[in-house]
Amino acid sequence: MSVLLLRLAGPLQSWGTSSRFTRRNTDRAPSKSGVIGLLAAAEGRARNESIDDLTMLRIGVRIDQPGQVERDFQTARPVDGSAPLPLSYRFYLADAVFLVAVEGAHDLLERLASALRTPVFPLYLGRRSCPPAGPVLLGMREGTAGELLRETPWQASGWFRRRHSDATVSLETVTDCPPGTPGSVLVRDEPVSFDPRHRQYEWRSVLRAPVTVGNPDHRVHDPMELLGGDG
Amino acid sequence: MSRTIVDIHIIQTVPPSNINRDDTGSPKTAVYGGTRRARVSSQAWKRSTRDAFDSMLDTSELGVRTRRVVELLADEITRQDSGLKDQAGKLAKATLEAAGIKLKAARKKDEAPDESGYLLFLSHAQVAGLAELAVSAAAAGGTVTIDKKEAKARADQKQSVDIALFGRMVADDTELNVDAAVQVAHALSVHEASNEYDYYTAVDDHKRADSEEDAGAGMIGTVEFNSATLYRYATVNVDRLRDTLGSDDAARRAVEAFARAFVTSMPSGKQNTFANRTLPDAVLVVVRDTQPISFVGAFEEALRGREQDSRIAASARRLADYGKEVQDTYDQRPVAAWCVGVGDRAAALTELGERTTFDVATKAVGALVAERMAGRA
Repeated sequence: MSVLLLRLAGPLQSWGTSSRFTRRNTDRAPSKSGVIGLLAAAEGRARNESIDDLTMLRIGVRIDQPGQVERDFQTARPVDGSAPLPLSYRFYLADAVFLVAVEGAHDLLERLASALRTPVFPLYLGRRSCPPAGPVLLGMREGTAGELLRETPWQASGWFRRRHSDATVSLETVTDCPPGTPGSVLVRDEPVSFDPRHRQYEWRSVLRAPVTVGNPDHRVHDPMELLGGDG
Repeated sequence: MSRTIVDIHIIQTVPPSNINRDDTGSPKTAVYGGTRRARVSSQAWKRSTRDAFDSMLDTSELGVRTRRVVELLADEITRQDSGLKDQAGKLAKATLEAAGIKLKAARKKDEAPDESGYLLFLSHAQVAGLAELAVSAAAAGGTVTIDKKEAKARADQKQSVDIALFGRMVADDTELNVDAAVQVAHALSVHEASNEYDYYTAVDDHKRADSEEDAGAGMIGTVEFNSATLYRYATVNVDRLRDTLGSDDAARRAVEAFARAFVTSMPSGKQNTFANRTLPDAVLVVVRDTQPISFVGAFEEALRGREQDSRIAASARRLADYGKEVQDTYDQRPVAAWCVGVGDRAAALTELGERTTFDVATKAVGALVAERMAGRA
């Protein structure tokens, strides 16, 4: 199996799997529907085109920098002065960084990687007003999603890493798993169709588990170093 | 396939102001790079951009976003054939329903014509086309029937420049949806920003003139505000715009109008209180054929210490260094780039693009975009 590695980072992201009407929520990690949508957008697929090949992909997400939830309040006012529209609340995940592993057949991933380098539609992190900071594609590797989520170096920003002095850091992962796997949870996040006429999501079975990765900013604390001298 | 993307990066200082506030009246903020920043939402800046189009484009190229669609169409029907004045409302309703747009009774007002249940974005050309259809159906005499297919086609062709740029959503009939060609990011300050409170007192003139009265204020209150140097970013997908508008020339005008309007407009929130209208200190316009790239990462670490003494110069330096790094690391060479700056403070950006004036830059982008579209055809 091959794996496509993505780094999803930006000031704001929003990954809702349960938004209705004027309250648009976000989850704490990218949704499968959001990631599949991003790949489909990169390829320039229209919303009513099939995504059957993409839903076969196995997706794993690692929360490298959890960020924080911010609430945004929005009003809409018609130009003609008629009655204003209902107030709406949007929730964003600010300051977060995720590593996403997309596991699947080599050829398909190769095609997606090239689409991510020159995406047909501009990519965004869950909502159009959230462009990614820097390119999304990290690279393509051989292995499984689980392996790469364990092996890939920590993707958090420098300022965030420097707050951790330990040699390793424990990060939460959310990965597709067969239904019924002990400890798994079901989320309504398996996209079937993005066609706006009958948008459809099925249940997705995911397993949450921590992985431990090294901290490249780890420094052994040596108080004598500051004193200089011959040591 | 050759593609054309226009990225616009802006550094802009806004003095004490409250151009975009939340439901408690506080200026909007967000955390980035671990520090609290001033934020102006993308929706707010898109609205002011669209408002600025009025002075840049002919009305026939623009659209109107309203619920009062029946009234709008009825007026156009009457304008085209004054003899239909009495039945214009009924005709308008039938035409819109034939096009797949659901209508319901106006809220609050009893006598008012029906409205759509949400804001409907129609181009002036679409309104004229639908009115023509209604007028010819009425002229045929007998029971007026509006052809559904034709009505839908007329609601979907001749998109206006603003619909093509910002998109349109029609909940009742998704075939009438238009995907936006523009993506606007939330503006964020390049430094840590905290909201401040302005305490004010208001004098009661009449009371002050009365010698019997005490000298106290008639009213007291606070206004929340902040001041910030913002990084703003937007990108235009020219190919998408061309597809929606159906004409190279219209797409070129739309790109130029968007660039001018996005760069020079400002959300109107508390404008009369703060008179905060500024123009950007530095603008970088990049034409690409690969992917849009935001340089917001340049400001993930907030400006601090000595950089704060010359925020604009330091921001331009950060933007130039980061932009070059990203372009080198990922081999993302732009097709062309221009920069515009006030004075020497934005000089660092000349490392990313040719320095010129804003008018020249906008025209050059338009010319390049037109050339690329012609080459693709």
